[in-house]
Amino acid sequence: MNTFDLSSTPSALAALAHGRASDPRVSAKRFAAIVLAGGLLSAALASWLPLQMSIATVFLFAGPHNWFEARYFLMRLPARFGRSRNFFLLAFAGIGILTAAYISFPALYYANLWSGANWTDAIAIWNTVMLLWIAALVLMRGRQQANRDWFWVVPVTFVLCSLNWLGPEVFSLAIVYLHPLVALWFLERHLRRNKPEWVRTYHRCLLFLPLLAAAMLWQLARTPALTDDNGLFWRITQHAGAELLPNVSSHLLVSMHVFLEMLHYGVWIFALPLIGATGAIWQVKSIPLAKHSRGFPKLIAAFLLCGLFAVGVLWFGFAANYTLTRDIYFTIAMAHVLAEAPFLLRML
Amino acid sequence: MKRTLFASAAVLALLASAIFAFADIARPKPAPRGLLYSGLTITTDSKAYEARLIISEGTLKHLQEAAARSGGDNAGLSEKIMHSSSRTIVAGVFMFLAISFAGIWFARSSEKRHTRAIAAVILVAAIFGIGTIIVRANAGPPGYIRWQNLPQALKDGKETSGGVSIDLVPGDDNLKLIIPMRKSGGSGEE
Repeated sequence: MNTFDLSSTPSALAALAHGRASDPRVSAKRFAAIVLAGGLLSAALASWLPLQMSIATVFLFAGPHNWFEARYFLMRLPARFGRSRNFFLLAFAGIGILTAAYISFPALYYANLWSGANWTDAIAIWNTVMLLWIAALVLMRGRQQANRDWFWVVPVTFVLCSLNWLGPEVFSLAIVYLHPLVALWFLERHLRRNKPEWVRTYHRCLLFLPLLAAAMLWQLARTPALTDDNGLFWRITQHAGAELLPNVSSHLLVSMHVFLEMLHYGVWIFALPLIGATGAIWQVKSIPLAKHSRGFPKLIAAFLLCGLFAVGVLWFGFAANYTLTRDIYFTIAMAHVLAEAPFLLRML
Repeated sequence: MKRTLFASAAVLALLASAIFAFADIARPKPAPRGLLYSGLTITTDSKAYEARLIISEGTLKHLQEAAARSGGDNAGLSEKIMHSSSRTIVAGVFMFLAISFAGIWFARSSEKRHTRAIAAVILVAAIFGIGTIIVRANAGPPGYIRWQNLPQALKDGKETSGGVSIDLVPGDDNLKLIIPMRKSGGSGEE
């Protein structure tokens, strides 16, 4: 009989880490225990020390989670695009153009080439292009699948575009909060493939998430605003939306954002690799682009090594000037947010 | 005669244009701008010689922050939307496109489950819409309800608490406290 035993969590993790995801000892209940314990711990730490946890988690996990995501995306990239050629062309073009545009806004502003007078309109246009790009990808993906009519995406996209134009900054803030949850969707899709017997348990665990969020809301809604008297703390509260939502406690906003970020990092760095979604991390040959007879194993290996080097550079940057590096990171990191869209669609 | 008619017409035209141009009517006073919403307690003190306004440090800090922002981008979300006509137009165009394409999707969707799902969505939206109209969205009881017993409470030396909106007006007038009061049996919302 399976028991709900938290003390066995390390052994369950170890079993998962050794690639024994199908090990019968790792029951659904142990999996649930790990997920719930992770969620509770994240919520508790984020509520208790929001600013400190924000600094620590970004410092430790921002770089590595991008490396794991890049590794994962390489795993999902087919060696030959075939009939998905146009889909990937549009996906990569969108990632490149949208990321370049996103980086150009602050770059032009700090280079005194743009006053930032139409900042809100620029953000609204960027959000609109992003929404239309995602809608185009969804429609293309829908056409590849028989018996699927995803045309409903068009009116939904236009509704989102409309909401975006009513409050572009609020819409961007919504993306900041919703993006971490996309990782949970990736995990669900992989559980369906690798551990279908865990899917129902996982869904029940997901129901616990709004309860945790509601508990945080109840506990922190009336807490005084966080002291943001230095540049870094101010930047963190702004990132969480303190200026856009002045009537909401900045403690609650930062805690909620950190909580979601911790879940995001947890899924990409621990959960997905442990259930085998990214393949054996150090084996380049597990990547289709490297394994294929006409593939590029050396190029892929070099790319991953460069990625590790970038993680090291990011850590060094954080240690030298945390505030500046954090700003630069969250600007460039838009690329990985965008990249999640086409690869998630490939999983649907 | 022609001259008289022409002069009369010119005077009438001038008068008519004055109606539309509001002629030399003085500019209206700028409306007070909502700065902060807080709570207010009114109480009496038989030993005090001066009226006192007591503000907590936290409220003062929020007030300072709000006042600092008031010079620039202080407008709330709804104000931003109302005052940005170009963005509202674009939002309207997208909403029009959304409804149009939703209609196309509905028309070409032959599957019964789609039709049922859409019917369910429309029904739920209609129920929420009617419900919103009936209950007047999520508005709580009007603020003046809390102040109705203020005169009696002042006589009895009791405290009265309620919400207060701190507004910013130009000029250097004295502080003014406006208490919403309704005559009993009046035609207001009661």
